Amino acid sequence: MTLLSWKPILFQLMLTGGAVFIFGVGAAAKRSSKNLLFILTIITLISAALMALFIHGESPTFSGMLDTGSYARCFDVLFAVTALLSLLFSHRHAGLQSVAGDEFYGLVICAVLGMSLIAGAVHWLIFFLGFELLSLAFYVLIAACQNDSGYEAALKYMVMGMVSSGFLLFGIAMLYSATGSLQLAASLGASVPSGQSAGSPAALLALALILTAAGFKVSLAPFHLWTPDVYQGAPAPVTAFLTTGSKAAVFAGLLRILLLTSGWLWAHCTPVLWMLAAVTMFAGNIAALTQTRMKRLLAYSAVAQMGYAAMGLMAAKSDGGLSVIFYLSAYALMDLGAFGVIATCSASADADTDALDQFQGFGYSHPWQGAMLTICLLSLAGLPPTAGFMGKFFIFRDVLKAHYTGLAILGIIAAILSLYIYLKVIVTLYMRPGAESGPAIPVEIRDGGFGTAARWAFAVIAFGVLWLGLFPSFWLTVIARMTVS
Amino acid sequence: MISFPLLTTIVFLPLVGAAGVLALRNRDIGCRYLTIFVMAADLLLVMSLFALNTHQGGIGLPGRWMRIEDFAWITAFGARFTLALDGISLMLILLTAVLGILAVLISWKSVTRHVAAFHFFLLVMQTGVLGVFLSTDLLLFYLFWEAQTIPMLFLIGVWGHDRRIYAAVKFAIFTIGGSLLMLTALLSLYILHGRQSGHYTFALFDLMQTTFHGPVELLLFAAFTLAFAIKVPLLSLHSWLPDAHTEAPTAGSVILAGILLKTGAYALLRFAFPLFPDAARFFTPWLICLGLAGIFYAGWIAFAQKDIKRLIAYSSIAHMGLIIVGVAVWNLMSLSGSLLQMLNHGLTTSALFILIGMLDERLHSRQLSDMGGLWKTAPVWSAFFLFFTLASLGLPGLNNFVGEILILVGVFSVRPWTAVIGFCGLLWTVAYSLHMLHESLWGEPRAQRPQDIPDLTLRELAVLTPLCAAVIWLGLHPGPVLDILQNAASGLMTHGASLAALTPPAFP
Repeated sequence: MTLLSWKPILFQLMLTGGAVFIFGVGAAAKRSSKNLLFILTIITLISAALMALFIHGESPTFSGMLDTGSYARCFDVLFAVTALLSLLFSHRHAGLQSVAGDEFYGLVICAVLGMSLIAGAVHWLIFFLGFELLSLAFYVLIAACQNDSGYEAALKYMVMGMVSSGFLLFGIAMLYSATGSLQLAASLGASVPSGQSAGSPAALLALALILTAAGFKVSLAPFHLWTPDVYQGAPAPVTAFLTTGSKAAVFAGLLRILLLTSGWLWAHCTPVLWMLAAVTMFAGNIAALTQTRMKRLLAYSAVAQMGYAAMGLMAAKSDGGLSVIFYLSAYALMDLGAFGVIATCSASADADTDALDQFQGFGYSHPWQGAMLTICLLSLAGLPPTAGFMGKFFIFRDVLKAHYTGLAILGIIAAILSLYIYLKVIVTLYMRPGAESGPAIPVEIRDGGFGTAARWAFAVIAFGVLWLGLFPSFWLTVIARMTVS
Repeated sequence: MISFPLLTTIVFLPLVGAAGVLALRNRDIGCRYLTIFVMAADLLLVMSLFALNTHQGGIGLPGRWMRIEDFAWITAFGARFTLALDGISLMLILLTAVLGILAVLISWKSVTRHVAAFHFFLLVMQTGVLGVFLSTDLLLFYLFWEAQTIPMLFLIGVWGHDRRIYAAVKFAIFTIGGSLLMLTALLSLYILHGRQSGHYTFALFDLMQTTFHGPVELLLFAAFTLAFAIKVPLLSLHSWLPDAHTEAPTAGSVILAGILLKTGAYALLRFAFPLFPDAARFFTPWLICLGLAGIFYAGWIAFAQKDIKRLIAYSSIAHMGLIIVGVAVWNLMSLSGSLLQMLNHGLTTSALFILIGMLDERLHSRQLSDMGGLWKTAPVWSAFFLFFTLASLGLPGLNNFVGEILILVGVFSVRPWTAVIGFCGLLWTVAYSLHMLHESLWGEPRAQRPQDIPDLTLRELAVLTPLCAAVIWLGLHPGPVLDILQNAASGLMTHGASLAALTPPAFP
């Protein structure tokens, strides 16, 4: 094996090297400045993203383990950007709260590596490896603030993560026993022996278990109950990363799995997905209606958004999941923005500014952050001219095209329900009677005060949300070229 | 032929202005002047459309578009950026541009908080409404349709009166909820047409070629009409309107009553009827019933109102009911009557809201029980109020009379009894209008109200006089405007010719 043959996985190599290096720097320099680590992490992520963008291998997979095609590379870039934006939000946060130093930055990179393994896996071992790497990194990241709520959230996430890993492992084992292969394509496609109309029940059970494991990670109802607690306890930048990056990764994996399933398996899958999507949309939106804390509200809204993405999976067989990919990128932007605003307005060392009441008059005391949050909320509500609208529009188009009219109508009803959630927050930001009496969030962190890094992130997100909402053509052509190998 | 994209400029000029307002956000007076400048420039551009389209014997040709601008937009979906202008759009964007200027002028003194944001939303709103009146690509139309809701939410919710939050949220949930259902129908129609022709597009004129089987057409029409009827609002979907109108600041009420309600009626006749002619014919009796019931019911409720703004809000429902009857009957005369009546209602009701806003600034109350004897204290204001109320109740010689008579005569030629009932309904208008005049202008001044109410200022006169002139002009010499509308309406008629048939088709 020549050195050159490693070229296709330069993205992963770069991240591994970067993580090790950052851990090393952190350990060697006892009082290493956080700024140095921050910059090193940023450089690692950007250069890795550039690798993924411009370098591609000749063969579609790397030793039959990892996809090196456009599908995986596109997701790699998405993950790197997500991590980058979350880091920009965490910059000030990390200075304020007693966030651990080197391990925070190193673990973010490890998490990105895990995501890229999940999205690129064509072998079950790699898939499991990515799944575990991602989870392990987040167990620590969630507790990065070293306070009680963080520990509690991390523990909850860990228990749930262990259970889902168990499901996944058991599912993989069953699938192997049923089909004798650990290759994704071979094991999922070969569940029906040639000449038979029905496949093996073991394969079906295996897929159910794998779906359950993924359902935990992307918080599809009824596996979503950990979401609000964990999101509330984790520091806001980590929450932003958790809700966008990890979910996009697992969805990327899920999409690949579903696209590779044989027709027989798929036929059994659709009713389950139908139910999951419908229940998730309603469970998320209904639970969010009564929330009075921003992070919990956004957590439930994120659950509901995953319901829409799951709805898009229904139509994946006919269009290759384009709508899901588009929706995931839109979702990543808008949820990063929403949690990012919360991250930038948290002043105290103990916890994030979280209660909805604290945000009264926020739109006037912090005009830019308020406008940012409003754009992201409108996008989450699916109103034009935002990315959220185009994403939902695309999903609904494909679902209707695939003849799931009932599900589409349920989705629309859920969207009407969800309007109230987002309007409630917007009303709090701008219209509550006490809105002008004075903000509950210190004015020091207004406008310029929340850090240059976060301002860049906001600019990128605001531009992205409006650009995808008004001129989605470019991004559509990019993802239309992606193929799953 | 590449020509200057005038319609696109008209639509997006306010948006550019909105960006300018954001840049000037710390200078209130600068925002006001910039906004009025942008609105005036937009009005000039709209006027230039009249000059550009003057042919022998009038403006526009029967059944022809005056101007179409078409650019590529989202090729993957088959959505294009298409703006098209006919007489209906022309008159409605003229109304929009005029009321836009007035909305700025009347807020000059009354809006003092967050001035930049107020004008920002006003301008964004303007873009949304102009887009609705011009776009013929359904996705683009939907985008503009939604884009007018959020600015209105803010206008009501931030600058409104006491119960503003309730009213704003109710307004937003009603309108967006309705339009989300329309989105489903719109997508279904798009897919249906795509499957039939193999060509996925959102262009109105392609989608009109879709053939339907079974009850699909009824469902789609119902979803479209639901969204539009909420905006109109048709009776039974109207409950957001009294709250929104009453709680909105004056500029918000003017735009709501003058323009937003018209977008509903406009969309009904531009999209819902031509796209689903058979279903429209099937639903015609229902629409007529709801329209007529609206005239009676809203008139009755208006009579009982104690808040003068709420009274006029209910009167809007009654007026819009008659307009819907005229649209639903779908013959040339009733249709052009309805179109004219949309303009009339936009002018008179806006004027009434403006007058009440001025009164509210002086009296700090909108209760009829706090008024009385205003004629003695503020004669100029009272004269205007009397004038516009008489116009609104349909006094011959003033604008509403022409519209109402055209609708009723048009309806009479097809459905005589409908016209008779509608005519009786108009008596309610007279009743509540005179009741309102009686309570507010005449009698003895109530003890609890301030006795020295300053009369109208020059700025306020400048707002009201053009409206006054327009009301008289449309009342005495509606010919030119009617010609423009009739030319356009005949175009609509040829597309939806089958609607003119009397008997509803049988549906399985």
